[in-house]
Amino acid sequence: MNNHHGQSQQSSESKHDDDAALTDFLASLMEYTPTVPDELVEHYLGKSGFQCPDVRLTRLVAVATQKFVADIASDALQHCKARQASVVKDKRDKQQKDKRLILTMDDLSKALREYGVNVKHQEYFADSPSAGLDTASRDE
Amino acid sequence: MSDGGRENRREHEKSSGHRKSGVDNFARAIAKIAVAQVCETEGFQAFQQSALETFSDVAVRYIRDVGKTALLYTNLAGRTEVNVFDVIQGLEDLSMGLGFVGASDIDHCLVQSGVVRELLQYVGDSEELPFAYALPQLPIFRDRKQTPSFLQAGVEPPHEHIPSWLPPFPDIQDHVQLPMQENGAKDPQLVEVEHAKDDIKPEQQSSLSVQPLHSAGGLAGPPLVAERNAANLKEAAVTNPYLAAPLYFGEKEVSPAVLPTKLSSEAAVGDHVGQKQVMDGKISALEAFVPGIESIKSGLNDSDEGQMKVFPSQRPPVQFKIRIGKRSFNANPNSSFEHEDCFWWYRFCVTQIQMFMKNLMMHWGF
Repeated sequence: MNNHHGQSQQSSESKHDDDAALTDFLASLMEYTPTVPDELVEHYLGKSGFQCPDVRLTRLVAVATQKFVADIASDALQHCKARQASVVKDKRDKQQKDKRLILTMDDLSKALREYGVNVKHQEYFADSPSAGLDTASRDE
Repeated sequence: MSDGGRENRREHEKSSGHRKSGVDNFARAIAKIAVAQVCETEGFQAFQQSALETFSDVAVRYIRDVGKTALLYTNLAGRTEVNVFDVIQGLEDLSMGLGFVGASDIDHCLVQSGVVRELLQYVGDSEELPFAYALPQLPIFRDRKQTPSFLQAGVEPPHEHIPSWLPPFPDIQDHVQLPMQENGAKDPQLVEVEHAKDDIKPEQQSSLSVQPLHSAGGLAGPPLVAERNAANLKEAAVTNPYLAAPLYFGEKEVSPAVLPTKLSSEAAVGDHVGQKQVMDGKISALEAFVPGIESIKSGLNDSDEGQMKVFPSQRPPVQFKIRIGKRSFNANPNSSFEHEDCFWWYRFCVTQIQMFMKNLMMHWGF
């Protein structure tokens, strides 16, 4: 019984700590302005029925979205850098040209696939059914 | 590091030029900017347009999904207002795909959730980068100037059946187009009317709009409008005969319909039968209901027993026989049927039908 009492005391203390951590976090959110604006988050949360007058919750969702976007962006950046590294290995002349890091559909779809979002992008759209065929069949 | 990505994108947006309406497009544009800012912080220097759009779409969906899931937990707990724990649970649900520390624990306290810890870490590590623009409160509505109701305008509705919360009738000038004369000067009549219109009480205005365009009688109030409308119609009639006002009885001199001589004689019965048969639609009707006419020659009397024998005043002295079963086609294409004959015959048939209907209704007591 004494042990149990000790344990419960301990757990309650840790609970207090955790609560304190959460409240501190929420308080710190008010100082940290997320890149995703509050009005936008409120607008879209309102569209799904989320009703909350507390700004801290909106900030929480905003920060979560920002983290989500940042994670995907960093994954896409790694894909992009990997591709550039592989290209550079083939031709050292083009090393200087490809320094710009561009977010392409390809990298984005690879990064999003890990998050469960399947984005398939058409590589090109043909003008006519015979576009891209062999010259022999085109002559016919 | 140059601001290359954002500048390029903004220039592209300006050059595209087309304005889309809708609050959602505005919100999407803001999302695009926010996502671009975050990507730039990560290290990207430029974006593909389609990639940026897709990415911002995904981010918007993420926000909506978080909201939906948090609301789900809220409702599950029997509340309507969302709690911080509901949000944490929603975030946990959405990051189940990738996993977080402590995802496999059941019964763990939400406060210790790995998601929160990761968020804490992120907030601690990342630089603060506020959004680039100052935003108004979404959603943005265009201020629509609503027409005031009767009550608001301080006007009494003209009739009893019109409630006061409805807007008043629009000005007549708005929906009657004034034809401009070629020399540019307006019709003096029209000018008069426009000035006089201000003096007309608003109560009369609604009744003006209801008046027929050409009131032959002419009330005290709306003769001005009728005049103007008549002027309009005259103008229009000059240009387009189909828009001319219809003529009333007696307005235009029309030659009277002359009964052809042969119709009054018995010898023309055959012709009449032929004529009857030419007009297919009328044959059966006539044969069925012709009431007892004093000059019927045949012994068959098809008039119904209970019907009254009405002799209309317009009835011409025609004698014709009723023949049942005999339908000899006796068309006379060369007969001198003039336009007036056909017209007269048609009118006669119509009159007969009307009389029959009247009899029928009287008999059955409608």
